Amino acid sequence: MKNFAVLLASAVLLLPALTSCKDDNVSPVQTVVTETVRDLAADPVRIDPATGRPLGGTNRFTLYSLRENRIVANSDSATNKWDIGFRGTMLIVNGGAIRSGQGGAYISTGLFDELKEIPATAEFRTDQSPTSLAIPNASGQGWYNYNTQTHLITPIPGRVIVLRTGDGKFAKMEILSYYRGAPATPTQTSEARYYTFRFSFQPDGSRRF
Amino acid sequence: MKSTLTVCLIKLLIISQMQAFSQNDSLKMRELDELVITATRTEKMVSVLPMPVTVISQKQMQQMGSLRLNEVLQEQTGLAIVTNHGQGLQVQGFNPEYTLILIDGEPLIGRTAGTLELSRIAVGNIKQIEIVKGPSSSLYGSEALAGVVNIITENPTANRAAFSARYGSNRTLDLTSNLQWKKERTSASLFLNRYSTAGYDFSPETFGQTIEPFHNYTLQGKAEHRFSDVWRLSLSARYFTENQDRNFETGTAQLSNPASGKGRIQDMNVNPVLNFKASGKFCGRVSLYHSKYRTDASSRYLSNGSLFDESFFNQTFLRPETQLIWLFSPKHNTTFGSGMVQESVEATRYTQRQQSHTVYAFAQHEWLPAEKWHIITGGRFDSHSVYGSQFSPKISAQYQLTPKIALRASGGVGFKAPDFRQLYLNFINNAAGYSVFGTEEVVRLIQELQVQGQIGEVLFNPDAAGSLRAERSLSWNFGGKWKPTERTLFNVNFFRNDIQDLIESQVFARRTNGQNIFSYRNLSRVFTQGVEIDGTHQLSDKISLSAGYQLLLTGDKSAIERINNGEIFRRDPVTLITTRLSRSDYGGLFGRSRHMANAKIFYENKAKGWTANLRAIYRGSYGLGDRNGNLVLDDPSEYVNGFVTLNAAASKTFFGGKLRLQVGADNLLNFTDPTAIPNMPGCLLWTSLHFQIR
Repeated sequence: MKNFAVLLASAVLLLPALTSCKDDNVSPVQTVVTETVRDLAADPVRIDPATGRPLGGTNRFTLYSLRENRIVANSDSATNKWDIGFRGTMLIVNGGAIRSGQGGAYISTGLFDELKEIPATAEFRTDQSPTSLAIPNASGQGWYNYNTQTHLITPIPGRVIVLRTGDGKFAKMEILSYYRGAPATPTQTSEARYYTFRFSFQPDGSRRF
Repeated sequence: MKSTLTVCLIKLLIISQMQAFSQNDSLKMRELDELVITATRTEKMVSVLPMPVTVISQKQMQQMGSLRLNEVLQEQTGLAIVTNHGQGLQVQGFNPEYTLILIDGEPLIGRTAGTLELSRIAVGNIKQIEIVKGPSSSLYGSEALAGVVNIITENPTANRAAFSARYGSNRTLDLTSNLQWKKERTSASLFLNRYSTAGYDFSPETFGQTIEPFHNYTLQGKAEHRFSDVWRLSLSARYFTENQDRNFETGTAQLSNPASGKGRIQDMNVNPVLNFKASGKFCGRVSLYHSKYRTDASSRYLSNGSLFDESFFNQTFLRPETQLIWLFSPKHNTTFGSGMVQESVEATRYTQRQQSHTVYAFAQHEWLPAEKWHIITGGRFDSHSVYGSQFSPKISAQYQLTPKIALRASGGVGFKAPDFRQLYLNFINNAAGYSVFGTEEVVRLIQELQVQGQIGEVLFNPDAAGSLRAERSLSWNFGGKWKPTERTLFNVNFFRNDIQDLIESQVFARRTNGQNIFSYRNLSRVFTQGVEIDGTHQLSDKISLSAGYQLLLTGDKSAIERINNGEIFRRDPVTLITTRLSRSDYGGLFGRSRHMANAKIFYENKAKGWTANLRAIYRGSYGLGDRNGNLVLDDPSEYVNGFVTLNAAASKTFFGGKLRLQVGADNLLNFTDPTAIPNMPGCLLWTSLHFQIR
């Protein structure tokens, strides 16, 4: 009987907390929108047929702000204004030993729409060195598969990049194509290093989408 | 080698037993029953063997007008020719590296990425081709997981000289001479063949042809002497050489940079065999087989003559072997054998000359407990210098249910040793930006690169990988045959193969410049299963019909587990919407047709010297490669459409059989698929003249 009283008291005390929680739940779902970015250039190059090496590239990352949904100038690379950078197949995040922001990332297996909340146990990786990046730049290990027969890069379906942004907020993104115009059947003559992706950015700092 | 064991009493025993079931065997049916050696290493009638065996006769190959082994095999039920660095053989859904190809019982070497190029083998002097399906490692060791194809060459039976010439589409010319000589105790034969073609081109707008011109020579000799009733010595030798042009584009469509050169393949083997028959109860053989395979290729840029690429590959194989058959009662006999294989490879892509050796022993017991039963058990133990040892048992049995129906079942273990490439490769592809190291090299090479500061990240500790194990299979075959009339025969065989420890490449480390370093690990588990049905019917004295069908289902077990766990997805290429893959979307392993079928009609008028035939071969739709990034076969765009090839030939003999004129057409429907099946030319017309003196 005593136990029951304690239980009842706790329930009463917790009630306002639960309802406020529910309120929090509802409002962000309405504000988080999914944006699609098309043909974001990621240092496009042409390949020298004699050496097989890329020509004409700037070797610079295209830095992107998810909050603003626009490209950030490279002069701002040492700020927390950008969240993710693109150069060829390499993706960088704005966090870690070699960055200035609070960012991080990990790759989750599943459908983009099914990811409603980033688990509290999720471990975000950061960019520790140019060869130790949060998002591994290797076939089958990160976001893409490289086909040695067709030499095409295909984003692995069912891989969601979960991001902590440069200013410590959360976002999720799914890369849809690596070729200009997102052709249904890319070929070796398709223009590579053009990203089409979609993302959701949660501005309120919560982990819910 | 075919006649090696002819003397053994066991043959008579089996024949008499068989005749007990079919007293009034017609001539027709006896033609359907051939002596084969491959299934048990002793000569047996096909009808008594408790495992699935196909025999292709010389007569059938002649009537088809086949020149090379791939042409013969692609028309057989349950066999598919698949292309990966050459045209190889797929049996029961296994890739080409899992079927052993023998000539007179001795293995052919020289595989590229696991494929043994079947067009290397001319069929002009072949007596018959024996195909044993199901695991045969219990007798033959490595590579015999799916089965064994044994090419039995002719033994001289009389003095004979035969010459033939054939010319056809793509300026394909084949010249053959076949000389045979026999005197009481001694015989010899010599086979010479030259084959050349101008090739063809599906994309004339680009530099280089789809198939470049090539020519090759086959020289094969055999000699045999019978010293006494006990001792017989034979020597056979074969030499093959092929030269092919190489013209290819190293640049792009905008900026051309063509290169050109030559490639050469050489393949030779020598096999002295001493046969003995010590008494009525013992017979046996000792052999010393030696084989070499060598390729050389070089090419230069046409623009400035500088070297683009130069490479060689040099493989040797030496195998002493003994075999003894002990017939200790009419119901029991045992075959024992032991041997050693010494192999080496030296090539551009290897650090140094690499060697390995295998010591092995096998035993097989044949038991006839009752008139209706035939049971064979056996096993083989292989001990390899690099990957360890392997035991491969097998048991098979046949039960004669009624005089018209026989049932059979067999189960066994097969294995494939890791090959030189997987153990010792040291290959850096600078253009595509990756390296592949064999498992015996990877620890040392990664350490060396680490010292040089070239390793950015080790993703998989090569020390933890350990040595490669052999790839292993457990296989079951159940079936039977039904002979409703003397003119009709049906065969059915259900099969299931579970293969584990399949060796695949995996990223071990990444260089500081981002390039991946691959090595090999025992990773995958796959299965293949299905059923094969085959029927022949002698419609009249002149016309025979045959038809066959195979249903094949395959899958990667870990892919299926991941699909069941909801971990594999696909993206619609147009809408870019990602969905979860369901089990029914999964199409199994790439390159396997779920349905394959054939139907043939053969006509022969012996009195008038006419033959004619029409053969239809269906290869059902199969997966070509991943297109949507999930690495499994699921999307309709990942399949090649099924197709039918129709082949026909007709011949007429003149001057009492001395001269034969033959015309034929392969791929009459002119089916081509340049992107998916570039090695399939369109319709080929040909005519040949065959002349023989006895």
